[in-house]
Amino acid sequence: MEFAGFDRPRPSGGTLTATALKILVAGGFGVGKTTMVGTISEIRPLHTEELLSDRGVGVDDVSGVERKVATTVALDFGRITIRQDLWLYLFGTPGQDRFWFMWDELALGALGAVVLADTRRLADCFPAVDYFEQLKLPFVVAVNCFDGARRHDPGKVRRAVGLDEKTPVIMCDARNRSSVKEVLTTLVTHAMEVR
Amino acid sequence: MTEDDPGPLIRLYGLTGGRTRPQGEAFDLVAIVATVRLPQETAVLNPEHHTILHVCRKPTPVADVAAGLGLPLNIIRILIGDLRREGLVSITPPKPANQSIDERTYRDVLHGIRRL
Repeated sequence: MEFAGFDRPRPSGGTLTATALKILVAGGFGVGKTTMVGTISEIRPLHTEELLSDRGVGVDDVSGVERKVATTVALDFGRITIRQDLWLYLFGTPGQDRFWFMWDELALGALGAVVLADTRRLADCFPAVDYFEQLKLPFVVAVNCFDGARRHDPGKVRRAVGLDEKTPVIMCDARNRSSVKEVLTTLVTHAMEVR
Repeated sequence: MTEDDPGPLIRLYGLTGGRTRPQGEAFDLVAIVATVRLPQETAVLNPEHHTILHVCRKPTPVADVAAGLGLPLNIIRILIGDLRREGLVSITPPKPANQSIDERTYRDVLHGIRRL
């Protein structure tokens, strides 16, 4: 069957190897994850929702529908086109702990992660740090320097979070493009080194 | 959030005939979906299926398809699963990071970020 009016996908055996890489942006609620994704994305950050259902219902089983609790979890993501066939996706991970199961899928095959931290609420980033350490996924800790937040010494943050010497800690401004670029290049460089 | 109003949820599941899970093998958020063939006239497809087929003429990650159509990922996955079953789309899963990301890819990514 012929397609009309658009480019046909290449036949199998061609060189079509489109690849999408993932970088996760994690951290506590309100720490600036969505801001960071929006600052660097070439597209307006796409917002989608994952619909949660505690259990699947059979095709013909509608009896449970009225009892089903409708819960959606927002997932923000941005995109950077690296090459024609290579995209980098930034996923702002759900902040709530009860959505851990989504992290497993997001983290699978990911290049690495940015853990955004706020020095006023440093403990908020601990779950993300624990998670990526356990998964052995390369990550950097980026301290989002909010207006009025005191600039912190990366060494102090490293000690407070209990990071090893290899994991980079950098100060950043999630609203600033060159600052976010620096965070990402630090992460990619780190990921290259530890692979 | 729609916690007080189950209406949208029920309507969304209407798109999938009440199904909450896609058929066949699970696929990733960044699996690449590509339209490989147009449907037969007799195929039972809803407008969302057709939109996905249109969008995926250019190979597109699942997450982009979801955001483009403004539908939750679960729903999109079920619809894409239908299209796969009909042989209308191919779904290419991402390779594990240690296979897909070689030295050259890392360098290209670094270059791509710096260039922004």
